[in-house]
Amino acid sequence: MSETPTLESLQAALDAQQAIFEMHQSMNMEVFYWWCTAIMFLIHAGFLAYEMGASRSKNALAAGIKNILALVVIIPTFYLFGWWIYNAFPGGFIPAEASAALPWSQSMGPDAKDLGTGVFWAAFALFGATTGSILSGAVIERIRVSAFLILTIVLGSGVWILGGAWGWHPDGWLLTKLGYHDVGASGVVHAIAGFFTLGVLLNLGARKGKFIDGVAQTISPHSLPMTLIGLMLIIVGFFGFLGGCIIFNGGDTGWTTIYGNPTNLSAFAFNTLMGFSGGIIGCYVATRDPFWTMSGGLVGIISVAAGLDLYDPGLAFIIATCMGVAAVYFAKLLENLGIDDAVGAVAVHGFTGVVAVILVGVFAAGTPNVNGLPPISFMGQLTSAGVMIALGFLPGYGLSLLLKKLNMLRVPEKCEELGIDEVEILAKPYPEAGVPAIAASDVPNKLANTELQGA
Amino acid sequence: MGTSITTWENVSAYFTFADNPMALGLFVAGATVIVVGLIRSIIKHENEAFKQHK
Repeated sequence: MSETPTLESLQAALDAQQAIFEMHQSMNMEVFYWWCTAIMFLIHAGFLAYEMGASRSKNALAAGIKNILALVVIIPTFYLFGWWIYNAFPGGFIPAEASAALPWSQSMGPDAKDLGTGVFWAAFALFGATTGSILSGAVIERIRVSAFLILTIVLGSGVWILGGAWGWHPDGWLLTKLGYHDVGASGVVHAIAGFFTLGVLLNLGARKGKFIDGVAQTISPHSLPMTLIGLMLIIVGFFGFLGGCIIFNGGDTGWTTIYGNPTNLSAFAFNTLMGFSGGIIGCYVATRDPFWTMSGGLVGIISVAAGLDLYDPGLAFIIATCMGVAAVYFAKLLENLGIDDAVGAVAVHGFTGVVAVILVGVFAAGTPNVNGLPPISFMGQLTSAGVMIALGFLPGYGLSLLLKKLNMLRVPEKCEELGIDEVEILAKPYPEAGVPAIAASDVPNKLANTELQGA
Repeated sequence: MGTSITTWENVSAYFTFADNPMALGLFVAGATVIVVGLIRSIIKHENEAFKQHK
């Protein structure tokens, strides 16, 4: 005969069920961000293909190795100081107490009771790597790999995450003072990286042969199909990126934006896809060019990302279409000014990101924020867009100017003529393209003199 | 040798050397040296490669 349950035993059973429920909720959250991070890796697979394809064949591998190394220097440096910057600087330039985010903290490693820090750190590290990739494409075929890596560490583990602390942290001053709204990182990732890139391009200069008598020439990608596949992979990766921009809360709160406002993945799904479509249409109509058509997918998503949770899908489609056209004209303007952006990164990410932030102030002004924070406003968004431009441009320009003065920024002219692959990478992307496979290779065997050879 | 725990009961941070700030500091220094060393080695390699193709 079973015992009659007491109030105490029922309460204990309820507590046990509650603990199990909360543990599973935490695990679900971990799983969500784990897969967002994994999908974000496709952004880098995409950038790898895109930049290699966009280069001439003599620089294809240099573009690739640069991209791979960017990823692997941003990850450890984001561990060493990037995560701390995010947690320490929401108030501006004076650090707050954030010792738990320092790399020698017990929080920064396997912890049986912490199901959040690792996956959030990973997602943010991959956001940082995306900023590095945005810079990477624009500077192909003439930047020194070493200079690029220094710049990409500063951008990917320093500059953008300072913007993230200001505009993407619950205590960030852009939010608390101006009601800043940028849920999909149009400003904190794309605008900052785009304008950092512009600063670098001004000091780096154009590729040899890009401008003849002041007239911009076409330097064709060696593999346009590879760039198109790469761009489509970036779009796939964006679903991980945008998933990482939404907060999976425990308890009965459900999904919120990074600002604590209610939203859900359905809102993101509507506007991500409508933005993608509109951007492609806009760029296609403006250029009829395959490279720009596919880039339009990025323009479209970035143009609506700041207000991804708020826009009517029809409005998102219209915004993205218009921005697809506008980004092409901005890229033309840059070329007319003698700036050689090899992949249009400043237009696609910088210009579009800034306008996207401002448009939230146009179309969603008055939308309240939670916890008594200021509502979204046009002036708040406009001011914040200006902050993003300055925060990206000034360090990019200053640091690249320093590297230029030290003669460390650009490869020598002879190297540029021969191709960086032949001079520095010592490998050929298509070694059998011009000679029979049985001929002796003129590519050095890098394993020939190692100790293990023949062991 | 490096474990920071003796039991799994009520365990929190359990990674190697989690209870040894000196060791964690050394690992941070080591990681920094690897990143800086990578860039330094690339600069050296580039300078040599560019010299060979003057």
